[in-house]
Amino acid sequence: MLRIPLLDLHRSLGGDIGVFAGFETVMSYGDPFAEHMAVRRDAGLFDISHMGRIYVSGTGSMDLLDLLVARDMRESRDGSMVGPTAFLNESGGFRDDVMIYRFGQDRWLVVCNAINRDKIFGWISKWISDRGFNAFLRDVTLDTVMLAIQGPRASEYISKIGLRDANALKPLEFMENLDTRFGRVDVISRSGWTGEDGFEIVSSPSVASEIIGALRSSGVTLAGLIARDSLRIEMGFVLYGEDIDETINPYEARYWVFTRGKRGCVGCEALGEIARRGVSRVRYMVRLKKGLRIIPRRGYRILYEGEEIGYITSGSYSPYLERPIGMGYIRSSHSLPGLSVDVEVRGKYYEAKILDYPLIKR
Amino acid sequence: MKQKYLITHLLRGEGLSEISVKGYRVRRDLLYTETDEWVRVEGDIAVVGITDYAQKKLRNIISVELPRRGSSVSKGESVGVVESIKAVADLYSPLSGEVVEVNERLRDSPELLNHDPYGEGWVFKLRISRREELDSLLSAERYAEKIGRE
Repeated sequence: MLRIPLLDLHRSLGGDIGVFAGFETVMSYGDPFAEHMAVRRDAGLFDISHMGRIYVSGTGSMDLLDLLVARDMRESRDGSMVGPTAFLNESGGFRDDVMIYRFGQDRWLVVCNAINRDKIFGWISKWISDRGFNAFLRDVTLDTVMLAIQGPRASEYISKIGLRDANALKPLEFMENLDTRFGRVDVISRSGWTGEDGFEIVSSPSVASEIIGALRSSGVTLAGLIARDSLRIEMGFVLYGEDIDETINPYEARYWVFTRGKRGCVGCEALGEIARRGVSRVRYMVRLKKGLRIIPRRGYRILYEGEEIGYITSGSYSPYLERPIGMGYIRSSHSLPGLSVDVEVRGKYYEAKILDYPLIKR
Repeated sequence: MKQKYLITHLLRGEGLSEISVKGYRVRRDLLYTETDEWVRVEGDIAVVGITDYAQKKLRNIISVELPRRGSSVSKGESVGVVESIKAVADLYSPLSGEVVEVNERLRDSPELLNHDPYGEGWVFKLRISRREELDSLLSAERYAEKIGRE
């Protein structure tokens, strides 16, 4: 079992500790609904150190990444993130969805899903040795901390703790080696996975621990992965292993992680073929009735007049919409936003509506 | 006199009325099931709830499906469902009998199961029909051992 570096700090601050993707980490600080609402209305702080962080460097690193990811890496700019994009398999299925930071043509940071860290490290390594790229990998996941401060007031809090310079960042831009009163921040970016404005920070555990303390004193709500999950579902953001995997392609997921018409990357030819052929299932959201206190869970069936037309891949209860929400794959013949369907929960049918994402307007 | 005071004092102390296993509270005055329900016997009535271990494993509980008042239930029968953000768990009747009361407050405040599992978070009461079934329930010590193994 792995553990995020600051687990003891979170425990001492009242964190409810659980396991996600093989990491002991913070599930909540006791009240995930309040944490969710804090992110929508004010700001919340997540420790997302479980996320994989792999540096790719060397003169061949741009060609290497351009071969392996579905977006055109040549169009990227220094100081900007590419993404979300994806590593695909030869059939066009998802190996992983990732964010890639471009420091320069010769240096990149790949942030991948925790459950795929070994797989992606191995996948990139294999291509380096097969094709002889001049490229090197360094996995810093277990030695660094990654924080996400998210919410409409995130930039105010960032200023309050003295990181005002970061407010100059536009969405998906980042700064490197920012000197702060807490010490050096390796990377700070304007990004997140909640649908809100916000920042993501990579630093040493000691610097991160100071930042957590300062943000907490300034009034930011500490939040855990349960709230992070309900926030991303409201926005229709996918989670690898739940909503996408090796057998699902970006068209089915309607997850636009690729540059259309890109040639020569792993999975790119397959993508072209998929688009010509069309898809038989499509990812959509479902929204259940207000006030219901159930959760549509992975594998639950979606029906229309008793006939199965799809299945749920992830769901939650939205404290913002005060109702159960979820997402799943619907047979393309019935992928009709607005259509009333049923979700089967333990043998009972609950009325739901097929909707496009996001479920909330930001 | 002095000794008697001391004993009373000790009996009231947390250490004697509760066992703590890996941070989970097990009350000594209750009986337990393998499926993490607790039972308090009050004459021919059994009060049933879910244990501190169960609520902590489930985490934030958002709803409870309660058994129907007046229904006859058998030992081991699924009589309700506890849903948390993380998971869904069946609630099993620890004994056979008739459901004489359910905790209506749980419909609007299911979080009582998290906040006070052995008190305000009780789930239902049944009139015991087969008293010999009490022998099959676990003592606090045996239940604590079970948690310790998991």
